[in-house]
Amino acid sequence: MSAMSTALTTTFTASIRTVWGNRKARIGLIILGLFVVLAVLAPLVAPYGPEDNGFERNQGASAAHWLGTTAAGEDVLSQLIFGSRISLLVGFGAGGIATVISVLVGLSWGYVRGWLGDVINFVVNMFLVIPGLPLMIVVATYLSNGGISVIVAVIAITGWAWGARVLRSQTRTLRGRDFVEAARFSGERAPRIVFREILPNMTSLIAGGFFGSATAAILAEAGLEYLGLGDSTVISWGTMIYWAQNSNALLTGQWALLFAPGLCIALLATSLTLINFGIDGISNPRLREGSTGR
Amino acid sequence: MSTATHRTTPSTPGAEEPLLRVQDLSVVYEPVGAPATRAVREVSFEVGRGEFVGLVGESGSGKSTLGFALTALSKPPARIESGSILFGDVDIASMSAEELRTQRQGGFAMVLQAGMNTLSPVRTIRKHFHDIFAAHRHVAPGDRDDRAAELVGRVSLGPEVLDRYPFELSGGMRQRVTIALALSLEPQLMVFDEPTTALDVLVQHAVMDTIRELQAQEGFTAILISHDLGVVLESAHRVMVMHDGRVVEDAPSEDILRRPQHEYTRMLLSHFADPRAEHVALPGLEAPVAGTATSAPSASSSPAAGGGLELRVQGVSKSFGAPRRGAQPVLAVDDVSFTLAAGGATALVGQSGSGKSTLAKLITGVEKPTAGTIHVGDAEVGSLRRKELRDLRRSVQMVFQDPYAALNPLSTVEYTLTRALTNLTDLRGNALRKRLHELLETVGLTPAAQFAAKLPHQLSGGQRQRVVIARALAADPQVIIADEPVSMLDVSLRAGVLALLRDLRERTGMSLLYITHDLLSARLITDDILVLHDGRVVESGPTAEVMRHPQDEYTIRLLDAIPDPARVHGARPDRGDLP
Repeated sequence: MSAMSTALTTTFTASIRTVWGNRKARIGLIILGLFVVLAVLAPLVAPYGPEDNGFERNQGASAAHWLGTTAAGEDVLSQLIFGSRISLLVGFGAGGIATVISVLVGLSWGYVRGWLGDVINFVVNMFLVIPGLPLMIVVATYLSNGGISVIVAVIAITGWAWGARVLRSQTRTLRGRDFVEAARFSGERAPRIVFREILPNMTSLIAGGFFGSATAAILAEAGLEYLGLGDSTVISWGTMIYWAQNSNALLTGQWALLFAPGLCIALLATSLTLINFGIDGISNPRLREGSTGR
Repeated sequence: MSTATHRTTPSTPGAEEPLLRVQDLSVVYEPVGAPATRAVREVSFEVGRGEFVGLVGESGSGKSTLGFALTALSKPPARIESGSILFGDVDIASMSAEELRTQRQGGFAMVLQAGMNTLSPVRTIRKHFHDIFAAHRHVAPGDRDDRAAELVGRVSLGPEVLDRYPFELSGGMRQRVTIALALSLEPQLMVFDEPTTALDVLVQHAVMDTIRELQAQEGFTAILISHDLGVVLESAHRVMVMHDGRVVEDAPSEDILRRPQHEYTRMLLSHFADPRAEHVALPGLEAPVAGTATSAPSASSSPAAGGGLELRVQGVSKSFGAPRRGAQPVLAVDDVSFTLAAGGATALVGQSGSGKSTLAKLITGVEKPTAGTIHVGDAEVGSLRRKELRDLRRSVQMVFQDPYAALNPLSTVEYTLTRALTNLTDLRGNALRKRLHELLETVGLTPAAQFAAKLPHQLSGGQRQRVVIARALAADPQVIIADEPVSMLDVSLRAGVLALLRDLRERTGMSLLYITHDLLSARLITDDILVLHDGRVVESGPTAEVMRHPQDEYTIRLLDAIPDPARVHGARPDRGDLP
């Protein structure tokens, strides 16, 4: 369907331009871009391997080790650089899965009428009322040491419900629009109406939801790792803080061990939040078309 | 009315100082990631104290942008690029937010298009007044209730509305409340931006009367922004016509009506006609002459290809569940019967809430009637199953009211039409593409290949409505239901779309049910008419007959509510000098 793809391409480029045009979003994109480059080129950028533990332990900052070394004798800067891989992977992985679930549930929920809607309502509400972190802890302990994919799954399962609710109300609004009614008059069936007519009109909400869940996922991953509920052999910003805490890094004056990964988590989360500022503009065709009339 | 006599701007020194002086004003929109557009270009004019000035133009002419600039409500991406707006002797553009706020009392106020939606739904009307009084402290706390009652009295509302919430009031009442709120600050200048556009015809008329009376009594200066030249000519002393961001004509209403100078003004005027006249014509569209209104191909001379189907509505009622426990269910359609002959054209006329749109939903099978039957040809619509209902779409199609909402903003014209063709016909591949181009040519969008690739926002309102019509035509339907197809369009585009509908009917012999509140368009393209009021048919018959000799009081009120500048200004306009 070339018409569809051109339409989507046009929308996509326009969206990028809109987001880039917002100053806050531009800063966010730049920060995120730096982290992505760092993560991809980690083996080239990092001075040492992340698990090389042949250095002197508990070193302060020096020319050889900019951020010092850990209690196990590893280079902190290298760990920091490699750790960005996990945070980005979990953030985008879990955020992406949560978004997909919320889109599927939210849209069908918004479109159906009658008892089926009530059933979905019950399920979503259940996920909403259960407090997130305790649920995460329970699931994570239950599936302990399943590696990073378990963390991703846990975060995705606990994180989709809110997005589904938001998308459901927007779907309800859109399904009352004339063009949806018109599609029905053109003989379209329900799935096509939902995913081809309604879905593309919610791009900004979905993108916003995605960056929101990704932020939450990054924070949750760090939180779980810090509590020691993740796989502590994996090198991530969360486990770095976990080990730093275990080895009383603050008492030995190695503040960089806690501070550096903490700052990175905060920066990455901030960058995604900043990008979200620009996403608002996508949904507003007035900003895009620049017309004043209708 | 001394102000209405001078022809245009150059102010005579020594005469009364104008209240508002606009010089070389340009307003530009600078959206992020899109080229800038200049909406108002080097506009200069003056408004004298106590004058009632109309500002007319079609959508995109920059009239609202100008109105927003005048009341310092311009928001980014709009920016005043150059020029000055002197209100008294201060430049509005250079005022700070706090200066602006304090001057709103005794300064200028604006009544917005959807003004009735600007009231807070969780506060009573009284609280709205108190908020304003408290913000400006110009009314002593003890006098506030009396003052509020007096203000709503001035807009013809009783003091009891003060204790109501906005949702308990009708649209017209809410718009009156917003006018009273604006009045509470005793402004010297009131800008009305399409104050009645979102209201019903009859209510529109009443609200305009109130505005007119108020202006005469209170003597404030008023600027009325509207797309409807009829409304403006009825009310304003002087009219400025805007086109493409420029004021192309600025003259007293009388002169605009009788001696329009600019080509564009003449074009706007030419789209007014009285549906009661014996001969009614718009540019490119002439109504059948009264008495001989039998242009419908009768059953005997049934047309060839496609042809129409008979639509038979018998004793149909539809009630909706009670809004509240214990309340009466709402009877939207009450025992309506009529027959639309194969190939005929019938108008369904009434204001909103009269049940005409519900009737359309019943006929297309979107809703099921509570009582009665609807037959399209041999099929009984109410008893159809989902699958059969989809088949019904091949024979009954709908043209939607708002072309800006009826097309998915993200789909190209080609995609929209292709989907309808794929779903409703057996055409595939090249045959489908050929048919698609044929459709576009039928509705006058040529070259077809070029229009096929466009997205809705790249088309004008009239072009969009043509796409909507093309989609409805995809399966060669036998019955078309057009729900206010031109009410959202600029006057200059209406005649074209109406002519298209009429030609299509004559060419294909399909039946047309035309739903509208606009009697003029009904007169132009239909043979028979049904007037609906509160769900009931109050009058029916040949369109020309009903218009010329209306029997029911409601029909007469509808006809009277059509803005008629000629009535205010003495006689009918002299059309001899029009092209």
